[in-house]
Amino acid sequence: MSFNQAIETAPPAVPLTVRFGGWGTGLMLLAVWLLLIAATSLYRPDFFSHQTVLAVTFTMAVVGVLAIGQGIVAMSGGFIDLSQPANMILASLVAVRLSEAGMPLAVVIVGAILAGMLWGAFNAAIIVFGKLNPVIVTLATNFIGLAALFLVFQLAEVPIGSEIYHFGRASFLGLPAIFWPMLALVLVVGFLVPRTRYGRRMIAVGGNRAAAKARGISLKATRFATFMAAGGFVGFAAVLFAATAGPFNPGSANTLQLNIIAGVILAGISLAGGRGNFWMLLLSVGFLSTIPTSLVFFGLSSDTQSIFQGFILVIAVAIDGWRARRATP
Amino acid sequence: MLRNTTTRTLAMMALSVPAILGLAGVAEAQDKFKLGMAVGGNTCCEWMKSQGDVARALAEKEGWDYVELSNNNDPATALKNAQIFVQEGVDAVIQFNGQPSSNPAISAVMKQAGVPIVTYDIADPGMYFVGIDNLAAGIAGGEGLGAIVKEKWACNPDLVISAEGAAAGIVNEWRTGGMRTGLKNVCPDIPAEKWVSFESQGDAAVGLPAARDLLAAHPDAKKIAVVGLNDGGVLALINAAEQLGRADEVIGWGQDGAFITGDNVNPHLAGSVFYFLEGYAVYAIKDVIKPIAEGKEVPLKADAGDPASKVQPCPVTAEQAKAVPDMAERVKQLLAAPAGTTEYELFCPNKG
Repeated sequence: MSFNQAIETAPPAVPLTVRFGGWGTGLMLLAVWLLLIAATSLYRPDFFSHQTVLAVTFTMAVVGVLAIGQGIVAMSGGFIDLSQPANMILASLVAVRLSEAGMPLAVVIVGAILAGMLWGAFNAAIIVFGKLNPVIVTLATNFIGLAALFLVFQLAEVPIGSEIYHFGRASFLGLPAIFWPMLALVLVVGFLVPRTRYGRRMIAVGGNRAAAKARGISLKATRFATFMAAGGFVGFAAVLFAATAGPFNPGSANTLQLNIIAGVILAGISLAGGRGNFWMLLLSVGFLSTIPTSLVFFGLSSDTQSIFQGFILVIAVAIDGWRARRATP
Repeated sequence: MLRNTTTRTLAMMALSVPAILGLAGVAEAQDKFKLGMAVGGNTCCEWMKSQGDVARALAEKEGWDYVELSNNNDPATALKNAQIFVQEGVDAVIQFNGQPSSNPAISAVMKQAGVPIVTYDIADPGMYFVGIDNLAAGIAGGEGLGAIVKEKWACNPDLVISAEGAAAGIVNEWRTGGMRTGLKNVCPDIPAEKWVSFESQGDAAVGLPAARDLLAAHPDAKKIAVVGLNDGGVLALINAAEQLGRADEVIGWGQDGAFITGDNVNPHLAGSVFYFLEGYAVYAIKDVIKPIAEGKEVPLKADAGDPASKVQPCPVTAEQAKAVPDMAERVKQLLAAPAGTTEYELFCPNKG
């Protein structure tokens, strides 16, 4: 057994509850979510309906997959990837063009994921080789990407009647077909990250770069792989987006960003890296996706959700800071 | 001595040639009319870019210089662009400013510089108004939808949904409110509680979650009529209905004609109102800019009710829209047509 293998199979140096956020976050999120559902159902009993479940789960699907990508970047210590909107629109455009060419859904999905990974590699190359701050780099590449996309197209839409179009409107076991891949991905990623070599490396780099380097983990390779993997998730989210969004333009994904970041932080995935549990994304994204629906049932316009999102983001960041301070010896 | 004088004279003559040519060039450039165009710059809408393309092509046909800037859908940028146009020494400006809060300041900048400015669709007291009568367009669309609602549901829908776009301000009130008025003209007895709204932001993809939420909040509504600021907003609701399994009895009627042509038209979009936005430069140049370039006095008509040039709305059913080419083809045909020909004349299937 090499030194590297020995390190990677060794038990974690910090308590599991600290490294993976613990179930306290989950219980708190579940309680708040149930409270929201109960309050809305009391006010409007018809809130508890299949239509509401559909509305919430449709919203969860795209946001959930994007949150996995954002969570990976955060956990690896990359803070946040602000270029997700440009990446998603690029990959959505690839999905549209492939479906316009009559390609089967599998090819469309692979094409979009590859486009997303390519974008991730672009970000990673600048960050890793330029040794630049990921937040600033992804902010800049988002601007560059959106402007470049606007030069290429103004509107795109999957062909009505195509495979991807029907996928976006199909249901399975009473829930949207696009919801199930999101659920599967969250469960699989949440299972694999703390149990695989790559996952543990990612957590180690995010938790303590110096210690990870001392263990012989390549920071460059890990970060490169992280951004590429995150880009791949954005690419898959783009398939779900293109399948459901109808006509979209280069700016159509900009409004998703806040919700995704809030979802990641609420799930207990630390922006400082090295800590979090992907399974919690189901609760945080579910909760955040229920808020606008509840607002409409309370008679408020769904665009007031930005106010609630803003407050929730502030609270989530405060909780994240408190957790980080508590975890610091 | 003589040789020196001859050399000096020849050198002077040689040097004077490029100087004279340069001065002549400057004089010609100063004589040449220069048109500035500030496009809207909102990524939502293909026609905003096309408005610039058409203006450029028409300016080139007239032999004018042309400067184009993008307002980036941002009021501060729009104001900065106005200042750049003045610095550039343009003789007239056309703008589409979808964020009109900066229009009074832009007007002041242009007035001080003595540069006439044309505004598309959103009126300002200091600017020549060229555009659609948004209220009339809204009413025409609402009446078109009303005819279908009357025939299909005997004027008894379960719900009438308005896809609003609040950022468009008064234009949203005219168009979306006008559509409600038009529908009421045909079906006056739809009860008030059946009229609901959601914020679509005029974008099918952005407005989609809000549309799903609204439908979820009205789970029993089956017969749903949809009006809105534009085709994109109306499509947000139609797509949401498809995803919630309730598209069978949704009828939408949009505005702007953005999604009613081509081979990818949603079957639940029953109609729209074309303004042929990409071709507005024909009106602006014919009625305002060209007379100014010819040195004529053009009275300032800044009111949407009494515009400098009025664009005719063209309401169409989805069936009629099949005869209308897509935007790229329309632009191509427009630029090939005799000067002053409008898209309404070329393409509207219902022209009076």
